[in-house]
Amino acid sequence: MANSTIPLRNITSTGGTDTTSMTRRSFVKNTSGVSAASLLGTAALMTNSDEAQANTEWAEWFQGNYRLMSDDEKQEAVVRLERRYSSEYGKKVSVDTKPAEEGVLFGYALNIQKCIGCRRCAKACVEENNQSRGDQEIEWIRVLKMEKGGFDETKMGEGYPDGYGIEIGGNAYSAAGVVGEGEHYYDPKLVPEEDFFYMPIACMQCEKPPCVKVCPVRTTYREPDGIVVVDYNWCIGCRMCIGACPYWARRFNWGEPKLAKEDMNPETHYLGNRPRMKGVVEKCTFCLQRTRNGRYPACVEVCPVGARKFGNLLDPESEVRRVLANKRVFRMKADLNTYPKFFYYID
Amino acid sequence: MPDTREPLNVFAERAEYWGLPVMTAAVAMLLAILSGQAQAQAREICFESRENASAVVVTEVEEGLPNVKCSEKTGGVLWWGDPYDGTVPMGDMPIEADYSQGEAVVMPRDSQLNLPPACGTACHNGTFPPPNNDNTPRQLTIHMDMVPDALNLQHGRGSIWCLDCHNPEVRNKFIDHAGDEIDFNQPQKLCGACHGPLYKDWRAGIHGKRIGEWASTGKKRWFVCTECHNPHDVQQGERNSGFAQLVPEAPPQLPRGMKNADHERPPH
Repeated sequence: MANSTIPLRNITSTGGTDTTSMTRRSFVKNTSGVSAASLLGTAALMTNSDEAQANTEWAEWFQGNYRLMSDDEKQEAVVRLERRYSSEYGKKVSVDTKPAEEGVLFGYALNIQKCIGCRRCAKACVEENNQSRGDQEIEWIRVLKMEKGGFDETKMGEGYPDGYGIEIGGNAYSAAGVVGEGEHYYDPKLVPEEDFFYMPIACMQCEKPPCVKVCPVRTTYREPDGIVVVDYNWCIGCRMCIGACPYWARRFNWGEPKLAKEDMNPETHYLGNRPRMKGVVEKCTFCLQRTRNGRYPACVEVCPVGARKFGNLLDPESEVRRVLANKRVFRMKADLNTYPKFFYYID
Repeated sequence: MPDTREPLNVFAERAEYWGLPVMTAAVAMLLAILSGQAQAQAREICFESRENASAVVVTEVEEGLPNVKCSEKTGGVLWWGDPYDGTVPMGDMPIEADYSQGEAVVMPRDSQLNLPPACGTACHNGTFPPPNNDNTPRQLTIHMDMVPDALNLQHGRGSIWCLDCHNPEVRNKFIDHAGDEIDFNQPQKLCGACHGPLYKDWRAGIHGKRIGEWASTGKKRWFVCTECHNPHDVQQGERNSGFAQLVPEAPPQLPRGMKNADHERPPH
C-alpha cells in the first residue's frame, strides 16, 4: 500500500510546482502507470476498512502544502482531521489553525543555574504534545547532565607530558561540561547531584534555521511569530532537517506512533500537537496550541524550580525581555549564526 | 487583606482538610479490597514544587479535563489543565518596583500548614497560651517535634529565631519587624525585607514561577516564596542548590538495540 501511495503524492506535488515542460511531460508519462495502480490500491483500501475514514485519508493525500492552502481548503482539511481524530481517539478533538498574532515574537529563557535536572519538562511536553509513547517513545526535550568545572590543588604539578606542557596550574583546572556532550540517560535516586549542573535542550526556534534551509519540500518553515513548524502532511521523511539541526531538536517517527486514547490531548493545532503519522519529523513548537491562545507552554508551567521563562520578545515588559535586560545571558552555539530565540541565563 | 476569622474557626477548617484525604484513602482501600484487585491506584494527591508543602488534589474541572495530571513515578504535577484551580486573588501588594499590570492570583497557603488539628483545640485556640512577647531565643519545649533545634535554625546562620517571623499571638500569621501581621499567602512581604534583590526579581517575574498567561498583561498565578523554598532548612546539607532534592522522572528510552548508556559515562 505504501509503495503505491507515495508516488501518487509526488505527482500532485510536482504538478503544483514550477517544472520545465520537458521534464514534466516525461515525468507524467513515466509515472502514469503507477498512478493508475495507486488509484486501484486506494480503492481497495476504501472497501476494506471504514469508508468515512478511508475517504478522509484519501483526501489527505491530495491536500496541498499548508502555506499554499486557501482559507477554505484549510477549513476543509481541519474538518476532515477533526472527524478522523475524533473517531480514532473516541473523544471530541479540535484542530486549531490560529495564525500568528501581530506584534508577537516568542522567546524563551532558561535559568541554567536553577535547573535541577528532574526532567519534568520533558514529560510534561509528552503529555501536552501527543508524542508517541511505549516502546517508541519520543521526547522533544533532553536534559543534559554536565560536570561543573573546578580547581584541584593536588594536581597542580601534573602537566602533560610530565615536566613539559602546561606548567602553571598543570591539570589542576577541569573544564565545565562540553556543550552537547553531557549525559542524558542519567538516573540517580535524587537530583540535583553534587558537582553537576543540568542543561535542558530542545528546539531553539532559530531566526535563521538550518533545518528550514535544507528541507527539499519546504514543509518546515518559520512562522511570523518566530516559531519553526512542520506541516506533517507534506513531510516526506527524508530527515535532512535532522541532520542540519545543530541542537538535536528534531525527532522522527520511525514507526506508527503509539498514542493511547486516554493519553491523547484533544486540544490540538494543525501545525502543533495534532497526532502525527509514521515517517514524519516532529519538533518543539513552543506549544503553539497553547501559546497562540495566551497560555504558557507546558514545560514552563511544570518546572518545579521556576527556571523556565517565556514571553513576547517585542514587549519590553515581558519576562523574557526583563531577563535579557537584567541577567547574564548566552545562547547555545551562538557562533553558528542561527540566532536562537532560546536564551540561557544565570543570576 | 485583613482576616477577621477567629483562629478557632480556622483550625476547625483545617481539621476538615485533614479528615478528607484520610476518608478518601480509606474508601479507596476498601474498594480495592472488595474488588480483590491489587492494581496501582492513580494518584489523587500530588505536589507542585516542594514535596509535602505544595500538595494539590486531583479533580475534574470539567468533563474529561483534570485540573492537573500527576507523574506516576514521582508524584509531581506533570500537566496543568486549569492553572487557576483553587486560587484566590493575591491581595494588596505595595506599589513599588513595576508590579502594576495583569491579574495576580495565589494558591491559599493555609491548607498547606501541616498542623495536626489537636494544635487548634488544645493550645492555639485564641485564649491559651497567653501571648508571650518575649523575643529572646529559647528552646520551645512543646514544639521540639516540629523544630528539633530552635536555637540552631538553619536560616540566616543562626541569627534568626522562630518568633522573628511567626506571630506569637496569631499563629496562622507572620509578623514583620515593625510588628505588623503578614498573611501566609504573601510571605514575600516578610522574606523580601531581607532578600531584596531576589524580591525585586520575583516582582519582575524573572525569579520564581508563574503559570497561566504569558502576556505581561495576562492573568497569572504567582508562586510565593514558601511554595518552593523551605525557610526552616535553607542550608540543608544534602543538596547543592536552593531547593530540596527531588526524585527525577525516568530517563529517555534508549535507541533500539542499545543495551545501556555506558557510552556516555566518563571512563573513570
